[in-house]
Amino acid sequence: MADTPTDHGELRELIGAYALGALSEREHAAIRAHLRECAECAREAQALQAVAEGLARAVPDRPPPPDLRARVLAAALESGRTRAATAEPAATEARPSAVRNWLLAAASVAAIAIGLYAAMLRQQVALLEVQLEQVSANASAAERQATEAREQARVAQQAMEIIAAPDMARVDLAGQPLVAGAATGRAFWSRSRGLVFTATNLPRLPAGRVYQVWVVPQGAPISMGLLMPDNSGNATNVTAGIDLPAAVAIAVTLEPAGGVPAPTGEKYLVGTL
Amino acid sequence: MSRSLNDAADIQHAREAADRTALARMADGDASAFAELYDRYARAVYSLAYGILTDQTEAEDVSQEVFSQAWRQAGRYEPRRAQVGAWLLMITRARAIDRLRARRASPGAIPSVDDTRIAELPDLQPNQERVAISAQQAARLREALAALPEPQRAAIELAYYSGLTQAEIAEALHEPVGTVKTKIRTGLHRLRAALEGA
Repeated sequence: MADTPTDHGELRELIGAYALGALSEREHAAIRAHLRECAECAREAQALQAVAEGLARAVPDRPPPPDLRARVLAAALESGRTRAATAEPAATEARPSAVRNWLLAAASVAAIAIGLYAAMLRQQVALLEVQLEQVSANASAAERQATEAREQARVAQQAMEIIAAPDMARVDLAGQPLVAGAATGRAFWSRSRGLVFTATNLPRLPAGRVYQVWVVPQGAPISMGLLMPDNSGNATNVTAGIDLPAAVAIAVTLEPAGGVPAPTGEKYLVGTL
Repeated sequence: MSRSLNDAADIQHAREAADRTALARMADGDASAFAELYDRYARAVYSLAYGILTDQTEAEDVSQEVFSQAWRQAGRYEPRRAQVGAWLLMITRARAIDRLRARRASPGAIPSVDDTRIAELPDLQPNQERVAISAQQAARLREALAALPEPQRAAIELAYYSGLTQAEIAEALHEPVGTVKTKIRTGLHRLRAALEGA
């Protein structure tokens, strides 16, 4: 093979091939070293590298196949890190949904900007949409999987709409001292769209009992769904509703399993608007 | 190249700022930023991969590898070294050439994915002002490439799109290596003039 060039004239001849990545390793190393010392050659190299960048774009334009998008997004997201926490399957219950786990992670952060929260939800919706596309594209996926993914996406979408509502108010709920001191709750409440509710550190449910969320207006409290905490005491609820009355408080009580039309049990979490 | 303030340049700068923001968000784990990046650059990446490999399946595979690498390495991207688009296309070319050379070595062989492999294109000179190639410039370059004297065009295309070293080009064209070097250099300077609108 040819000797490694050392003469400036010889090295200059290599700049073109260097810009195109067409040198042998030895020649490549030689010219790199030279460019660190010679400003004139470095300028020429930079100019010709700009041409090489142009060559990358000078190919005929060719649209990628439409199904490539879902494939690329799913493949990359599978391989790497995303904000959506991977779910740890609880010992006694079915694998928690990714949406719920993710909403729980958000609730346990002490102070969280609404904008960031909404952005995280957008991202989660995007992730779920990708998963959904992937599932739809795979003919052998169980119909149940597709339904689950669709349901998760629907819930996430609903949650996002509630949080994005113009009349949305955020309410922090405090655990009531005698029964649930360490528990906390956060509600995103919109009269026009509904409630996104998350709670942490709720005491373990006694048998035959369930937590129930209430929106309390001037009149009778209105049920906004049930909460069943996981082993860590975390629970989430997303309930859509329209034309709800103005609320003065949001509360969580302990009720018989299945819930009740009006609150009867102890208050565990309370927050006022 | 003078940088006069005008709408095209402002748009270019805005685009580059948006790209850098998307990468920063991707480094943070933001999946929607990743989708944005794909929508912006999939066409360019796929076109280059296809231009080199002339096979749809392989071009798709390479496109997927490129975006996966971008996702994993978003935190390592350095804005001053290259524009995001140029960076993606450098990775695209490197991976496509890898496949091409592997195909030649043993038909059907797929090279293993290796993120630490240095791209065959040289590192860009740091601390130099980089301005991204505009669509107009790319079109001018395409025309200029087609208009190059055949020997220069062949040498440049074999080097850039077929990944041959200049020694391999010399062998393929039955010419001395010195001739190949000169053709490449002369041809690139002509293309450079076209790029700069001279």
